[in-house]
Amino acid sequence: MVDASRHPKVTILAPATVQKVEGYIGNFHVSVEEQPRYVIAERCNGCGACAKVCPIEVPNEFEANIAPRKAIDVPHGQAVPLVYAIDMDHCIHCYQCVEACGKLDAIDLAQKPKQHELDVGAVVVATGFDVMDPSPMAEYGYGRYPNVLTGLELERLSNSAGPTAGAVVRPSDGQAPHSLALVQCVGSRDARYHLYCSGFCCMYTIKNAVALKTNQPDLDITIFYMDIRTPSKGYEEFYQRAREMGIRFVQGRPAAISEDPVTHNLRVLAEDISIGQTIELETELVVLSTAAEARSDSGQLAERLTIPRDTNGFFTEYHPKLRPVDTPIEGVFLAGADQGPKDIPAAVAQGSAAASRAARILSTDSQLIEPTVAYAWPERCISAQGKKCGICATKCPYKAIIVEPGSAAQIVPASCHGCGACVAECPHNAITQFHFTDAQIIAQIGALMAVQPERKIMAFMCHWCSYGGADNAGSSHFQYPASSRGLRVMCSARMDSDFVFEAFRRGAGMVLVSGCHPQDCHYITGQQHAARRFERLAGTLEKMGISPQRFRVEWISAAEGQKYARVIREMDEALRAMDPAQIAAENQAARAQLDSRLRRWPDVPGVAETLREYPEPTLGPLASLAR
Amino acid sequence: MGKTPDLMAQVMAEPGGEQLHTCLSCGTCTAVCPIQWWNPAYNPRRLLRLAVMGQSKALLTSPTIWFCSACDQCYHRCPRGVRLSDIMAAIRAVALRLGIEPDRDSALVNERICAGCGQCAELCPYQAIALQVRRVLGKQKKVATVSAVRCLQCGICAAACRSNAITVPSFADGELLRQVRACEVGRLEPVEARL
Repeated sequence: MVDASRHPKVTILAPATVQKVEGYIGNFHVSVEEQPRYVIAERCNGCGACAKVCPIEVPNEFEANIAPRKAIDVPHGQAVPLVYAIDMDHCIHCYQCVEACGKLDAIDLAQKPKQHELDVGAVVVATGFDVMDPSPMAEYGYGRYPNVLTGLELERLSNSAGPTAGAVVRPSDGQAPHSLALVQCVGSRDARYHLYCSGFCCMYTIKNAVALKTNQPDLDITIFYMDIRTPSKGYEEFYQRAREMGIRFVQGRPAAISEDPVTHNLRVLAEDISIGQTIELETELVVLSTAAEARSDSGQLAERLTIPRDTNGFFTEYHPKLRPVDTPIEGVFLAGADQGPKDIPAAVAQGSAAASRAARILSTDSQLIEPTVAYAWPERCISAQGKKCGICATKCPYKAIIVEPGSAAQIVPASCHGCGACVAECPHNAITQFHFTDAQIIAQIGALMAVQPERKIMAFMCHWCSYGGADNAGSSHFQYPASSRGLRVMCSARMDSDFVFEAFRRGAGMVLVSGCHPQDCHYITGQQHAARRFERLAGTLEKMGISPQRFRVEWISAAEGQKYARVIREMDEALRAMDPAQIAAENQAARAQLDSRLRRWPDVPGVAETLREYPEPTLGPLASLAR
Repeated sequence: MGKTPDLMAQVMAEPGGEQLHTCLSCGTCTAVCPIQWWNPAYNPRRLLRLAVMGQSKALLTSPTIWFCSACDQCYHRCPRGVRLSDIMAAIRAVALRLGIEPDRDSALVNERICAGCGQCAELCPYQAIALQVRRVLGKQKKVATVSAVRCLQCGICAAACRSNAITVPSFADGELLRQVRACEVGRLEPVEARL
């Protein structure tokens, strides 16, 4: 931290809040409000004379509220910058600090918040986590029994710079305990609070136990656990060392903690599951390893940065394996426990990764993007005509579309990932996607359905999953009938209902719409948009008179070659079971409605020409002869 | 019997048994169970484990599968929100299908006195009492009937019965009164004087 503060290219704004983030990768504009310290940073030399005379004492948040601090204080001893700040919630305006500061004259009670407007190329979010308050778990008595502490409180007590200068004592009587019980998974792995494993509690508990046992070998330490998780390098060896030191490990989750009202000793009730017997352990101090949880204000920040959060409130990475530090918003990166609970080595590794990902952007003047971005024709967008719409912006998983009333939707190419959701969802066909224009897709449908379409399966596939699945079927030699004709788009979200209508208009026997499983979608919410769309479409087609078995929606992953082959086999069987004459009759009956649905399509640039270039195949006697 | 590989599936197929596979075997239930305090042989966690492992003989012949009183102390503390009383009911249902019944007493109804008011049936926490028409002293009459399988001898019915028609073996009124009197021994007043 000290190095960072001295670096000529690093500016630290503290205490500060991000208020607004606009722009896109390489061109972010961030509004930051620097809260007043009521102390002039340039004049304060960190001597602490003001805190000495301050008469107000309040709980010290850094010391887990087990020690006091003054109303003018630094957040903690190693704070950077080391500048005192007045806590106006508690200051009584006695002005003793002003007097103590004397000639330095650093205290300015009239200081106002300072606004900073920053133009930055990349943003790294490293806002950390909160520790769960275990008081709602009444069975453990935290808050009721003085000698039940949290892991963080023990951490401060055992710290030589902490409130007791490193002496671990019982809050009830200030005496050093002779026995200690540590309870794991308090609030973690618990469906009532947080289902996830907080990940680092096992290790810090063992670390604390080893440290205490080293200082005080006769201290009786018991660790109650469900599972000890030591997955990283050297961790299991450390756990082994703790066992060798004589620390008792009991597998069994405590069900209740009760207190002896006279001695304030605690009784931990648990089943030792390895012997299948309930034990009641009397101990002088209990420490709860509480869960890590997302910061309470993470929602606010997520909103300002337009980055997604998971159900637990942690920020979501772009891809859990392949892009673990990126967010779906290009140019915004995640570091540390704001993305999920993690220990120090993992947080440091992720921080370094995020910094180098950000440096990659800052070191170039231009950014290479995929060529398949979307484009909105200003003259076709009804928002430009003053009408209210903005559907595209609500469908974009990347917030790449700016819709302001009175002007056309504007797609920021640098933020666009090219899923095509907006293209398919635009009710006015005002958006197109380069390399996947409607005209290009019509041409492909035309070519694929040119000969004997009533005997073919028109299969729409997404680039990442179902196309990979089909590829997997081929490369693994899973056999399936040759009647399918695949058409690849980037995401199932791009598959416009019009494509399905067009396929049936051209006489397709069957239409398959396929994409990723919902959790695998490479465009976050793309599959969800598609799933909703095709659920509606299935009903529409049935009303048009198209037999339900002729339209199928399947989610197939890139590894599910077997599934792809099976789906095509089943569809082919169903197709063979149908009379071609019936297919022709259904198509004929639906014709008027299909035409009506597609009547405005030729207005889209390029579509009319393509429709002329790929005339519909002539159906008729040839089809029935072939059977 | 002995081992039944699909025992877990059988338990999970019974209503209430669905959550069997979510149990982490952490032991919270056993530690907090009031029945376990009274009888350490009762280990609900172990019973669930036996079901998961297909140990049908050890599970279904164990007298402890009939012990759960559905107080749900464990349910409120379970980190997976497993309602153990429901799973116990599912295990018992599997046992009953195989003809295994609990070897214990249940509440007894004196059908001659029973007025058939149905208050006991309403109050029974285990739905062990139902009103049935029976032939009593040559007359057709509605009387309370206790299911031996469901009854846990809590005695709520016996206490509530306005006709004193129900009693719980080994906790009959007379026995309890003798115990109350025994508590009075040692007092200065003569016991008989007040009774």
